[in-house]
Amino acid sequence: MTLAPSFLQQRPPLGDLLDLRAFTDVCQSFSELYRIGLKIFDEAGNRLVDVKVGNADFCGYIWTKASGREQCAATVGRVKSDPVADQATPTVFDCFSGCRYLVEPILYEGDAAGRVVFGPFVPEGPPGLPASLTGIAPDFDAALAAGYQQKIRRVPTATAAKILAHFLELVDVLVFSGHKNLIAARLHIEAVQESYRELQDKNRQLETSFAKLKELDRLKSNFIATMSHELRTPLTSVIGYSEMMLEGLGGPLTAEQREYLAIIMEKGENLLQLITSILDVSKIEAGRVRLVMAEVDVGQLLRDAVATVLPQARKRGVTVTCEPHGPPRVVGDREKLRQCLLNLAANAVKFTPTGGAVIVGSEPLPADRVALRVSDTGIGIPAEHLSRVFDVFYQVDGSNTREYGGAGLGLAIVKSFAEAHGGEVTVASTPGQGSTFSVVIPVRPRSEPALTPVLPAAPVGGA
Amino acid sequence: MVQINQQARELAVKVVYYGPALSGKTTNLQALHQKIAPELRGRLMTLDTKDDRTLFFDMMPVWFRSAAGVKVKLRLYTVPGQVIHESTRRIVLQGTDAIAFVADARRAEAAATLAYWNNMLRNLEANGLDVRTLPIVVQLNKRDLPEVRGDDELADLRKVIQPPVVPAVAIRGEGVVETLWTLLSLTYRNLDRSLGLGARWKLDEAEFLGRIFEKIDLRGTRLPEEAPAR
Ligand SMILES: Nc1nc2c(ncn2[C@@H]2O[C@H](COP(=O)(O)OP(=O)(O)O)[C@@H](O)[C@H]2O)c(=O)[nH]1
Ligand SMILES: Nc1ncnc2c1ncn2[C@@H]1O[C@H](COP(=O)(O)OP(=O)(O)O)[C@@H](O)[C@H]1O
Ligand SMILES: [Mg+2]
Ligand SMILES: [Mg+2]
Repeated sequence: MTLAPSFLQQRPPLGDLLDLRAFTDVCQSFSELYRIGLKIFDEAGNRLVDVKVGNADFCGYIWTKASGREQCAATVGRVKSDPVADQATPTVFDCFSGCRYLVEPILYEGDAAGRVVFGPFVPEGPPGLPASLTGIAPDFDAALAAGYQQKIRRVPTATAAKILAHFLELVDVLVFSGHKNLIAARLHIEAVQESYRELQDKNRQLETSFAKLKELDRLKSNFIATMSHELRTPLTSVIGYSEMMLEGLGGPLTAEQREYLAIIMEKGENLLQLITSILDVSKIEAGRVRLVMAEVDVGQLLRDAVATVLPQARKRGVTVTCEPHGPPRVVGDREKLRQCLLNLAANAVKFTPTGGAVIVGSEPLPADRVALRVSDTGIGIPAEHLSRVFDVFYQVDGSNTREYGGAGLGLAIVKSFAEAHGGEVTVASTPGQGSTFSVVIPVRPRSEPALTPVLPAAPVGGA
Repeated sequence: MVQINQQARELAVKVVYYGPALSGKTTNLQALHQKIAPELRGRLMTLDTKDDRTLFFDMMPVWFRSAAGVKVKLRLYTVPGQVIHESTRRIVLQGTDAIAFVADARRAEAAATLAYWNNMLRNLEANGLDVRTLPIVVQLNKRDLPEVRGDDELADLRKVIQPPVVPAVAIRGEGVVETLWTLLSLTYRNLDRSLGLGARWKLDEAEFLGRIFEKIDLRGTRLPEEAPAR
């Protein structure tokens, strides 16, 4: 990566360094003050300024004679183009008419950026017109020309040189400040462009790494999905055979053996549930959630959830009640809605200490929606964590994991299932007082559901 | 890179004073502006408009014509030291032929100095410039202040870093001319290698340095032995 060439590397022509309109005004008033005309040319010979003072009639009269015209043009050509030294001293150019010009380069940073042609003026010397002028035509009217010449300033060359030096100092300041303004303006633009280019570079880098991350994430989800599936198959057998032994199919068991087998089964079930959640999440992340839409009995849904967590709640000394209100039926995916309520109810029981209460209920909402609600009187969630509890693997206090168990997947699943129904899940909570989670979904799918329903997948846990 | 105009027999050489904010870059240029005779240098242009701080650098032209008629134009720049002016810094560094790295010699400034050194390396690279071949002089400035590195530390530093190290008190004009001398001497040799300044341009090192330094107020300056007596 290399930068575009900067303005600093270039030397702009004189015309760009000066504000020409303002500069012309300055030249005008300077010329009028000293009553001597001046012209400014840039390096390439372009005329930037031309101020005439007093010589219009005189030169106009000479211009009426063919030879006068010719010689005048020659003088003009010489003052404009004849070489002058790159030094701060004037070069004298005499006109055949007896007038004189001083020419001096405009030096900027040691370079001639252009030249000033100062004049015409009538230099010191004997009065009267030179023969080189009076002889240009037989009908030349010397008296008339002498009268016109009176209007041109008569000044010693040394004085004119001083005035010119003075003028060039002025020009130097103007060119310098013009250059400075130009650099400031151009560099400002260059700096902004450069910052922009730099930002774009960084953006591109970010985009590339983001794309890589997304690809990695996809691979991870795929891997987890495959692994979970592969783990589940042997685990179902472990549970199934334990169950058979427990039922005595493998011969009589001692009390101790029964106790151990029961533990194996319970832990196996826990493990199966965990793997199932992971599989759900990986399906969600891979965008493979499909809804199987059907009429669902809301009351049944709530009672099922209550029944499932009741044993656990009894153990912990927490009461669980069911409070269905509002529409008795919704159209949705029965299995997924059941899973939502179960996850919420399990959390509520898990995070509510002995003596607390959990309510699993439903409520009608405007715009044909229904809220499936689980509230508890448990430990609650601090405000700063509220927005993150729905993230995969997020747990308010990682160290709680030992105390409460779980892998931080339940709420992520609830959120994604709720959204797949065209709804959402919300939470309100006060630490120390309790939490309320609400799954809000439309009573029936609005036009298209978020994902097209397909045939049911193989039942979970099927061997 | 040095800008060459064969036809006009002109060389334009760019010298950049680089370093952290407030290390004394502008002070260096101000001191040089005072010491160099007016016919050899232009005005010191300082871009520090109060309302618009994105531009913050100085520039001063210095020029001479050699006996063989070669015009040499040096442009001395400072870069803005403030971190936010990264892009301006990079633009000013573009096409540089030599760098005076101005560092604050106080020990407390060592970390900032190192950061700017690395920043310079990055910006040189962005400009396609090679730090190994570019003439660089390190100026350890503000040696009048307490808590600066001592002479022994200076000697140690000289052993570990490649560029010459010149101590300075820029605010009193000390070490400023020496820094420029050392840098221009390196620059001459570099340009001689790449362009044949001596053979093709008939400009030898003694004249190159002499034309400039004969027009500099050298009172209180100690130039190396090989300084041409003019
Ligand atoms: N004590 C001391 N102060 C210095 C010296 N050189 C520069 N300064 C001061 O350091 C400050 C910053 O200097 P300046 O040249 O503006 O720094 P820049 O940001 O690198 O251009 C000014 O107040 C200077 O007067 C020095 O040699 N000694
Ligand atoms: N009813 C609740 N009361 C207090 N905290 C809760 C409740 N429900 C969820 N949380 C917090 O949100 C976190 C994430 O919940 P979840 O996704 O179900 O994961 P897990 O239950 O496996 O920890 C929990 O670890 C807990 O910190
Ligand atoms: Mg949970
Ligand atoms: Mg500065």
